Amino acid sequence: MSYVEIDEPGKRVLLMGNEAVARGALEAGVDFCSGYPGNPASEILEALAKAAKKADFYVEWSVNEIVALEVAGAAAFTGLRALTAMKNLGADVCADFLMTTNLSGTRGGFVLVTGDDPSAHSTTSELDTRNYARLAEIPLLEPATTQEAKDMTKWAFDLSQELGVICMVRTVTRLSHSRGVVTLGPIKRDKRSAEFSSQDMWTSGSSNIQCMFHSILHEKLKRAQQKFEESKFNWYVGKENADFIIITSGTGWPYSFEAVKLLGLENEVGILKLGTTWPLPEKLVASHLKHAKEVLFVEETDPFLEQNVKILAAELAAEGVGPITFYGKKSNHIRGEFGAGTGELNVDIAIRALTEVKKVPYPLRGKEYSEKAQKLLSSYVPARSMSFCAGCPHRASFWAIKKAAKWDGRDAIVTGDIGCYSLGMLPTGFSVAKTLHCMGAGIGTANGFGNLKEFGLDKPAIAIAGDSTFYHACMPALVNARWNGSNILLVVLDNNTTAMTGHQPHPGTGVNAMGDSSPRVLIEDICKAVGAEVRVCDPFDQDEAVQNLYEMLQNEGLKVMIFRHECPLAFPKEKKAKVYVDQDKCLSEECGCVKFCTRVFGCPGNIWDYEKGKAKIDEVICNGCGLCAKLCPAGAIIVEEVT
Amino acid sequence: MSSIAVKGPKDLQKIVIAKGLCSACGACTNLCPYIDMVKGRAVLIEPCGLSEGKCYDFCPRTYVDVPSLDKTIFGSYRKNLAIGSNISIIKARAKDSKIRSSAQYGGVVSALVTYALETGKIDAAVLAKSKDKISAEPTIARNRKEALECAGSKYIVCPTVTGVLEAIKQEKSKIGVVGTSCQITAVRKMQASNFEIEADKIGLLIGLFCTWAVSPKAYGYIKDLVGSAKVIKLDVPPPPANIFVMQTDAKRIEVPLDEVRKFIMPACNVCFDMTNEFADISVGTVEGEEDWNTVIVRTKEGEKILQAAVDAGVIETKPLEKERFDHLCEASLTRKKRVLTETEAEKTAYLTIREEDKSKIVS
Repeated sequence: MSYVEIDEPGKRVLLMGNEAVARGALEAGVDFCSGYPGNPASEILEALAKAAKKADFYVEWSVNEIVALEVAGAAAFTGLRALTAMKNLGADVCADFLMTTNLSGTRGGFVLVTGDDPSAHSTTSELDTRNYARLAEIPLLEPATTQEAKDMTKWAFDLSQELGVICMVRTVTRLSHSRGVVTLGPIKRDKRSAEFSSQDMWTSGSSNIQCMFHSILHEKLKRAQQKFEESKFNWYVGKENADFIIITSGTGWPYSFEAVKLLGLENEVGILKLGTTWPLPEKLVASHLKHAKEVLFVEETDPFLEQNVKILAAELAAEGVGPITFYGKKSNHIRGEFGAGTGELNVDIAIRALTEVKKVPYPLRGKEYSEKAQKLLSSYVPARSMSFCAGCPHRASFWAIKKAAKWDGRDAIVTGDIGCYSLGMLPTGFSVAKTLHCMGAGIGTANGFGNLKEFGLDKPAIAIAGDSTFYHACMPALVNARWNGSNILLVVLDNNTTAMTGHQPHPGTGVNAMGDSSPRVLIEDICKAVGAEVRVCDPFDQDEAVQNLYEMLQNEGLKVMIFRHECPLAFPKEKKAKVYVDQDKCLSEECGCVKFCTRVFGCPGNIWDYEKGKAKIDEVICNGCGLCAKLCPAGAIIVEEVT
Repeated sequence: MSSIAVKGPKDLQKIVIAKGLCSACGACTNLCPYIDMVKGRAVLIEPCGLSEGKCYDFCPRTYVDVPSLDKTIFGSYRKNLAIGSNISIIKARAKDSKIRSSAQYGGVVSALVTYALETGKIDAAVLAKSKDKISAEPTIARNRKEALECAGSKYIVCPTVTGVLEAIKQEKSKIGVVGTSCQITAVRKMQASNFEIEADKIGLLIGLFCTWAVSPKAYGYIKDLVGSAKVIKLDVPPPPANIFVMQTDAKRIEVPLDEVRKFIMPACNVCFDMTNEFADISVGTVEGEEDWNTVIVRTKEGEKILQAAVDAGVIETKPLEKERFDHLCEASLTRKKRVLTETEAEKTAYLTIREEDKSKIVS
């Protein structure tokens, strides 16, 4: 049993931030959980799914984030405690429902957890979802530690239920994926029953009704604010009534604390750490602004606190507060490598800001240090670009797409999408994909590209989508293509799992989040029903794959090619084929291939023996797919099936 | 050995493929993973980065150094400017009438190939095979049965040289090739190349007279005309018929030749070699004698195998009449003159010809 599930109140355990969120939900007695996988939030639902059967609550991976929020919303309407977890961009997907369910309210505790990804380590936008809380006018909690991740999630249910409005908890990658000590509370199990009476009505209304609900929402927000003024998640440390204060939230708190300590400024600087950041606990903040002459904001991504506090300060000015000099993102003191408001925070950034403002010396690591470190590192770790795994079917698919597009000769526009195969823009995908945005944008933009003939752009449009992405976001655009006669070829890379986020199931896998078998929804059935020409092919049957793609490109209208081959990481073979290079057959530098296997094909299993000047297979990494053998022009790579 | 500079795939793309001069012979494919032959077009998949490549060197449209090839193959410059070096020109035909009926005209090519295979003079023959007597793809025939399955003319281009490169990989030795002028030229360029690709395995080159081939786009056109009937033979009867004949199991279909000419490969318009001048033996039709072939014996090897086939009673020969010889030379020379003039004018010249020869041809 994982630490998330053990029922030993008072025990101190090491939990990942995401696990702490899950534990918080367990301690709150959650009934109904939903979500869609996406870094850095995936482990929240995974931890809950593992605990669901024993603790007797429901968990589902939904088809996408808005469906996730809607199913959880329904549960919350009936009085159940519901949680939905997603990555930052998931908030975009569910925003439509969020912007109305905030008005309709909730009966049970309803919590939305978003995982932001400053620096966009595994995201296409470092979007700051706190803005959604402000936009939707709902209470926002920002945990700064693993303990808070658990405690705040638990409290968010109580708060939501008491106020009758969805509450949001925002974590970031560094919190979600780091581990910290958490003191456990009791797991709550009040088996609730879902109720929906004939008097029930859940809507945001429209016209005057909407305005009325909107004003009720404002009242709820005011009550949230009153509670926030007293919240134990907000505190002040350091010099009493300091002239110089740091206002911070989330991971900004440990960074600020450390920076102040390292610079020995504990007796000069005060830190106001806020855990309840929207609506702003104005009285609490005002009580500190009254003694401050200078304020530095340390927070992840957007100047969210910075702007809200500045508005408050402007109001307080009439009461004689200030003048206050503000430092932060606007003043360019808190800045990442690419400027203020970009990239992840760290202690160094907080230290640099303090040394610049306070004019105190602190020898930050110089340029020489990082150069030296880089040099030392490169002797152990060679520089590598991002790459598909050994034996990944996507490599086969992209080579087929590349070839078919070249065969076609009309310079096809390939639109990428979100998944492992986003790497299709990079050399590992032969730089085939030319656009990459959000889930479903591949086929959406292809719809446009495929309909620009009358404007002089007569190039075929090829959209890429993964299997999970297909269910998530591609179906409306698929229908649109058919309806509006867009001339596109959709290539679905179906590896029978949601690979990039950690192999979660999806509607095509025949399994649900809790591991039970479920009906399979087949991509080809959906596409055929829409009226597309559909073909299914294993991309490792490379000749067939290229030929079919090429033929489909010649056909008018909506075409769907499903490249189907299981992810070898999710479905490892019991016995993999033995692959090796016949050293006599490899023509080395003499071959016209110019090291095709290592230079272009680029599978990590293909390596170059610089001493012998010949190709070689890394048997440990090789997955035995055998595609390199099919493509080697000298026929030097031998595949022996192991029986 | 030619002194002409070898370049890379970028130049191949620029001076041949982009100009539509690729004859789809297949010499640039099957060498690397970067070039594919697609429906009569060589397609570059990915730049390999080489500034010198086999693809460029073997291509019959990048450069053809005629005097250099003549010296290498025949030991001397050509004396006959119209049809190239030759030992003799005769009429010949397969003695076996079954071969003749399934093959084109006299069936000399089929008879020679089967004879060479059966007597071990070659181990394999690279031929153009057609599944439906319309399309054509290269195949490696290793026995009489496989060779006879390939009998009959194909008018849609076939990347035969891709098959030659495949045969070099597969076979231990002695490969025979039947090909059109561009294909045989490519094979000769391989043999003369500084690049090592074991081209010495190629033992016998049988060249087909060729005036043009059509692009694979013609496939649909022919298929539409033929319908569900099974094609037995396609034919362009000698002038002045000016028709294209599709003999099917149901009926004989004739269309004006100009209809089919619309699909002629642009690469054929710059071809100066109607009689396959670099082959060991070249074989064509005889106007007015449907049962016989015109045969130009060019090399000692060609002479030897033909003689052996005659001695074995596989092939019979008779002299070619002077008028027919003169007519062939005249037709070939007219073509050369046109091609030389046009390619110079359009800056698509790929031919190196001795100045004195050129002035004689053009005048």
